[in-house]
Amino acid sequence: MPNLLEMENISKSFSGVKVLHNVDLDLKRGEVLALCGENGAGKSTLMKILAAVYKSDEGIICLEGEEAPLNIHTFDMQNKGVSMIHQEFNLINHLSVAQNIFLTREPLKRTGLIDFKKMNRDAKELLISLGQHNISPTASLSSLKTAQQQMVEIAKAISFNVKVLIMDEPTSMLTMKETEILFDLIRELAKKGIGVIYISHRLKEIKEVCDRVVILRDGKFITNQNVSDITEQEIANYMVGREVSISQATDFSGDANDIVLEVRHVSDLLLKDVNFKVARGEILGFSGLVGSGRSELMEFIFGIRKPKSGEVYLNKKLVTNKTPDSAILRGIGFITEDRQRSGILNRRNIRENINLIGQIKHKGFINISSKQKYNAAKMIKQLNIKCTAQTQTVNTLSGGNQQKIVLAKWLLVDSDILILDEPTRGIDVGSREEIYNIIHELSAAGKTIIIVSSDLTEVLSICQRVIVMHEGTIKTELTRDDRTEESIMSYATNTRQTQEGKA
Amino acid sequence: MSNFIKNKIQILDVFQNLWAKYNAIFVFLILFAILAMLTDGRFASYNNITTILRNASTIGLIAVGMTFVIIAGGIDLSSGPVMATAGLALVFLQGGGTPLPLAMLVCIIVATSFGLINGIIITKAKVPPFIVTLAIGIIARSVTMYIGRGATITGDNTDTVFKTIGNGSILTIPIPFIILMVVATILTVLLVKTKFGTFVFAVGCNEVAAKYSGIKVDNIKILTYVIAGICVGLAGIIEASRMVAVSTTTTGSYYEFDAITAVLVGGTSLMGGQGTIYGSVIGAIILFFVNNIMIHLHISTYLTGAIKGAVIMIAVLLQTRNRN
Repeated sequence: MPNLLEMENISKSFSGVKVLHNVDLDLKRGEVLALCGENGAGKSTLMKILAAVYKSDEGIICLEGEEAPLNIHTFDMQNKGVSMIHQEFNLINHLSVAQNIFLTREPLKRTGLIDFKKMNRDAKELLISLGQHNISPTASLSSLKTAQQQMVEIAKAISFNVKVLIMDEPTSMLTMKETEILFDLIRELAKKGIGVIYISHRLKEIKEVCDRVVILRDGKFITNQNVSDITEQEIANYMVGREVSISQATDFSGDANDIVLEVRHVSDLLLKDVNFKVARGEILGFSGLVGSGRSELMEFIFGIRKPKSGEVYLNKKLVTNKTPDSAILRGIGFITEDRQRSGILNRRNIRENINLIGQIKHKGFINISSKQKYNAAKMIKQLNIKCTAQTQTVNTLSGGNQQKIVLAKWLLVDSDILILDEPTRGIDVGSREEIYNIIHELSAAGKTIIIVSSDLTEVLSICQRVIVMHEGTIKTELTRDDRTEESIMSYATNTRQTQEGKA
Repeated sequence: MSNFIKNKIQILDVFQNLWAKYNAIFVFLILFAILAMLTDGRFASYNNITTILRNASTIGLIAVGMTFVIIAGGIDLSSGPVMATAGLALVFLQGGGTPLPLAMLVCIIVATSFGLINGIIITKAKVPPFIVTLAIGIIARSVTMYIGRGATITGDNTDTVFKTIGNGSILTIPIPFIILMVVATILTVLLVKTKFGTFVFAVGCNEVAAKYSGIKVDNIKILTYVIAGICVGLAGIIEASRMVAVSTTTTGSYYEFDAITAVLVGGTSLMGGQGTIYGSVIGAIILFFVNNIMIHLHISTYLTGAIKGAVIMIAVLLQTRNRN
């Protein structure tokens, strides 16, 4: 029997630049294949060629031994059994779950009107087959959580009688618990003979859920190995093309009594009497599930959100930051979790983006372009931002480089306290290493760093102290000695006491 | 050989970049050349050109103000009626003997206040700009007609200084066009060289990111409507001065749409976050070129709308192609 999928000799160029060089890829029935590579390595391009979003310049695609025609449409490719779940979902918020699943393929009554009864029934069946009893087919998509929306995407893919399911960074927006559910589902699908291609920057997940890994670098095939034969470190090295050092948390060496920021009694609908302190030069981590109030707490400190009560002390003085600009002028920086939504001006150029915060602090009215050029050049060099010119628009950069732009605009204003919310989400190993190095350097230079992260590996490998939140309260504070992924998880899910009770 | 091809590609690239930046000007020049040929030079005569520039100045002024609003992600559908209201105030006062500078100041203040009201309602009540400015426009027109009893109100026709603003020339260049160019230059400096300008682009490109970067988004938006209001006031002065009269029913009617057309033809994106002031000036001139062409070619003026519509489509089509 031929392989489920064979991609041979695939090449692709965009405006004269070759992004894929004769790449081969195969997939067996029931296999979970990890596709790894840095941002810009060509993973997404290869997958979009497979899903017929792009046409390849060279090469052939065989599904179950049958060659797919060159000019096949995405829709026909879906009908042949190839579905792709993009990082940003292709769902319509205002339609119901069932309408989304059967979009363009609505069952019709004899009169030509949509048979909603049948549609909802079929959708319900699909969702139950995925173990999603809680999602109602008539619910509006916008009322669902991200993880549930992803299940709708998967249900939609399966409704096409999927044979090859491509998932691009499926866990980047999920909590740990939701991730576990997704992994169980992926294993279920594989058991049914579906081939899954899994793209992720989280190497740990690859070890956990995938059978085989294919690594690309600069559009070229690098290696193909069984996951059991390769370590995370080796995968990272293959991706970057050199030895990658994995960050180690350092001990806090500053004065623990030199409190830069203290937050007292913050309460609102979600937060319940939150108090914490952070010292100069410390790297403090906030862990917890999505929705535990971490981001909301940071938004309060930064002046975006107004809680019912709560005080912020900066250098032991009470301050109120009513708007972000007052927080910025007091030396607080905030790198938000969603750079597309709240981080970058994607259609403006690099220079303008890097200088944006600087202009808030700048007293004059007229821009000094020589200074802006100098600043941009300095940050591009310091952060090793890969670009052709300062006037390049930011949407042409890779995710990692966009994140560096966001970092650059805050580093430029030399903030004393830098809050980073999910600083490395969707960012490849190489850039992640660079960002961690910058964080270490800033801390060594006496800057205070607060990191909010759902990535436990990240929290453990960079933070000197970790605060775990659960449903708006601080559950515990862990120092370097008494923290493991398990301990953080048990506090974050509030299962600690019951476990201890059993023991 | 390969070098030769490389050079050729580079030259093509240069052309493409030039085209992307200045396509409005190219279209303009091509139209101009064709027209000059078709009309045996009548079209290209100096007099005809200055007439076009004079006529285009009112829409041009509204358009340069509108550019700020559109770059910041908004729209202003109240410009035409507000210009009539402001113009009415001007001819009333001027006809009643108020000193001209004071009357003109009132004209600008009236239009600016409408801009301020637009901006405040849009930002504080969080109503979409399309709806707010549409409603304000309808109200302004209605109030204007009520005050003027639906008639045409004339000012003091003997005031030559007032008449000169709209009808005079300096060194054969029409005064309205000189005003337009001065305003356009000031606004360009404001947009490109100041931090306010940068913030306008930032707000239009990504409002949330602008907010998280410490920009006072509401204030920036309100200011763009205020700038648009000032420009509408200046346009009102010129328009009223042309005939020393304001028709409460027809003065400024559809001007907001002509101005938006000019802005779009000039290369500003309706999505916000991108655009130039001079582009809008050229856009306005192109519109009046088209009008003028129709007259010279003896095409029915009823077809002007058809041609304008086509010009918008082509201009926006060219821009989308450039972007991809």
